[in-house]
Amino acid sequence: MENILIQPVRRPDLVAALFVLAGCGLLLLRLFDPATSGVFPPCPLHYFTGLYCPGCGSLRAMHQLLHGNLRDAWALNPMAVLLLPFVAYGLTSEALLQLRGRGLPHLFLPAVWIRALGVAIVLFGIARNLPVHPFDLLAPGALLPL
Amino acid sequence: MFCPQCGASNADTNVVCTQCGRQLQIGVPPGIQPGVTPAPLPVTGVVLPPGTTVPNYLVFAILSTVFCCLPAGIPAIVFAAQVNGKLQAGDVAGAQAASNNAKMWCWISFGVGLAGIGVWILLAMIGVVSGLHNQ
Repeated sequence: MENILIQPVRRPDLVAALFVLAGCGLLLLRLFDPATSGVFPPCPLHYFTGLYCPGCGSLRAMHQLLHGNLRDAWALNPMAVLLLPFVAYGLTSEALLQLRGRGLPHLFLPAVWIRALGVAIVLFGIARNLPVHPFDLLAPGALLPL
Repeated sequence: MFCPQCGASNADTNVVCTQCGRQLQIGVPPGIQPGVTPAPLPVTGVVLPPGTTVPNYLVFAILSTVFCCLPAGIPAIVFAAQVNGKLQAGDVAGAQAASNNAKMWCWISFGVGLAGIGVWILLAMIGVVSGLHNQ
């Protein structure tokens, strides 16, 4: 039985390094707007095909969130805004697990929920490319007042 | 049976804790008809040591799909769902196999992302250099 159990390997040094890296990344993201500066790479899919993927606009949305503009962030990528608390919780739990050997209370999601989430992400990616109202509002920034 | 992680009370037949999802035992998979007597399986009721679980890497899958623009995150999400599905069915070995696949796709996603950033920096540098050359 032992070979299939995952014993968490504690790597506080790695977590510290990643924290510093992530901090630098967030600072850069606060200072430079991905929409106007060339500091951040564009989405390769959009660059080559002009299509939006489910993640298009998430970097710009994060930039807006770092400036407290929830509305603009929502307009750029609602899926990313919705999933951010979940991702933050998971990453915090993972970091605590590595640092003190115990994470946050484990959320066990039924497999159906995870499948539904996967389907929702794919459908979101398709819908935001449709040039049909109201789906076109899902394109990054379509809801932004210009 | 009480969950060794969160202390919640669970039915003795539960494979994972209903409260926190910790595996409780390797038991008879559900779906066996009560009327039909199956071949007697030794229900050992192995309690996994505290702190052990089968990770599904869902957070990293979402991170790479929605926050890094990488389609390789989709198979990672599919395998994450498989991990929890197999845990629900009591198939720990199957969950572990799916977990390994989820992990692999997260790394592929991460690698492709890094390579993309590398190419972008390279192109930017070439652009800057040729831009200087033209002046």
